Amino acid sequence: MSNFALEVENLVKVYERRGRKARAAQAGVRAGVRAVDGISFSVPRGEIFGLLGPNGAGKTTLLKVLTTLLRPTSGAARIEGFDVVAKPLEIRRRISMVLQETAAELLLNVRDNLLTFARFHGLDSREARRRASIVMDKFQIHKHAEQKVQDLSGGSRRRVQVAKVFMVDTPVIFLDEFSTGMDPILKRAAMGYLREEAAKGRTIVLTTQILSEAEELCDDILIMNRGKQVARGDLNALKLLSAGVYEISLTFAELPPTISQDIAELEPLRWRVDGNTIEVSLKVEEARVLDIVHELSKKGHVLRVEVSGASLEDIFVELTKEPDGQNIAKEA
Amino acid sequence: MSSLAAIFYRESKIRATNTTFLFFDLFYPLLYLLVFGIGVNAALGVRALSPGMDYNSFFLAGVLGMASLGIATTSSWSFFLDRDNGIFFEMLTYPMRRSEYLLGKVLFNICIGIVQAVITVAAGCLLLKIHLHWSALPVLAAGVIGGTAGWFFFYATFALKIRRNDLFNSVVNVSYFVLLFASSMFYPLAPLPKWFRAAALVNPITWQVDVLRYGSIGLGAPRVLVLEGIAFVLFALASFAWAVRSLREQG
Repeated sequence: MSNFALEVENLVKVYERRGRKARAAQAGVRAGVRAVDGISFSVPRGEIFGLLGPNGAGKTTLLKVLTTLLRPTSGAARIEGFDVVAKPLEIRRRISMVLQETAAELLLNVRDNLLTFARFHGLDSREARRRASIVMDKFQIHKHAEQKVQDLSGGSRRRVQVAKVFMVDTPVIFLDEFSTGMDPILKRAAMGYLREEAAKGRTIVLTTQILSEAEELCDDILIMNRGKQVARGDLNALKLLSAGVYEISLTFAELPPTISQDIAELEPLRWRVDGNTIEVSLKVEEARVLDIVHELSKKGHVLRVEVSGASLEDIFVELTKEPDGQNIAKEA
Repeated sequence: MSSLAAIFYRESKIRATNTTFLFFDLFYPLLYLLVFGIGVNAALGVRALSPGMDYNSFFLAGVLGMASLGIATTSSWSFFLDRDNGIFFEMLTYPMRRSEYLLGKVLFNICIGIVQAVITVAAGCLLLKIHLHWSALPVLAAGVIGGTAGWFFFYATFALKIRRNDLFNSVVNVSYFVLLFASSMFYPLAPLPKWFRAAALVNPITWQVDVLRYGSIGLGAPRVLVLEGIAFVLFALASFAWAVRSLREQG
């Protein structure tokens, strides 16, 4: 048996156009949309794997193929050794998924949502009730146990949705932007639970646009853009791709009036002002960094200076920016 | 089998959240029979169709056929509710075949259909003095079960293909008009104009209602009914295949 929970080989998903648009495409006017374009990767068991990319990168489509919601146009994908096209039922027996949009049985109460989900995954009534009680405690939804989900806030509905995957022991969990709508405390707790599940040997595949989440959680990251792989590796490997990117943070006693112009002249990757603090990401030679800090500090009275290497956000911006409309795939 | 039970469990849990819903599920055909049947019988003075057979007896099968359509459209409409709740796509990742998803729903619908039929037939016998053709009850049961399944698969396909709730409602309204009135549901076909009768004869609701009529009051020629029964089974199987295919195309 393979050591990998997931194996994806040159996967392509093209959304074909229908009707008049399809006829136009056949006439060579415009082909279908290549939402996933030749993606290959594998994920060992027990790993937390992050799929990152801007809106429309193809993350959700890739997840839909892996969870048997969509058939790939070409290529292959196996989960726990089973092919997504040939053995979809075997795959569904081994996965649980949190969709991007909130998905819950709105007419049922919280407890019945959990019990119904458990029943689909073959748990007997007694075991399902025992687990529901534990999961409701974990996600702080016990007090809503008998309330219909339609009467809960958006955040609580999300809790119910995420809580469901902890009801079962499927070896692979897919999470599509799981933390949307969660408050920071619960999000932190949920991330802790996910780490615990991974430590038990469950493989977790998540998509996110919250890069700090991926930075904190993922053992391995794949960055996608326009359906293609842009970069792949663990955080350190990805940071190497962005060698020479530095983050400078300066807090002034009073923000200098010309600071925007001064920063623009440095041609930063990105920058922002938060109160009297400016944060700038620059791609420069190491020797220039201190010079730049020195130049900027002459503009006003500086209270705090911080210089650090690139964050995942810097890498993400660097790798997915499209100055000439093209992206160059990089291997970490 | 466990996935069918899980779907059944889910459907029953949802249905149990609203007792009004449950009441109309079970008593709607009976109310139709009592209000419409008695009204036509009394107000329009419909003469006896054959010795010992009044309009209520004739209309009993029509009401049961109409109930199959009602369950089918309500259950198909729930796909829209599931889509709006986001649960529809999540359910498609649950460990079950697409066909099991549909069969689980049908199993629940059939149970509702059988209870509905028992209530309606019992009340028809007790209150309206309808004389049942007892030896043909298995045919009646087959008509209820097959009809409930066939019409659900038929409407489920539209619900899955059409992404717009309002468009689905229009399809249901138009199809109801055609299926109900161009059929033997409300009136015998013999006195109708030739073109009308021809349209009714190719209407699957006529096939189902004729089987139900034989199963309830023993009216109809067995040889024709066998053909109609086979035609309806083929219609149901084709609808099932189409519905499974439509479900596979979701995502």
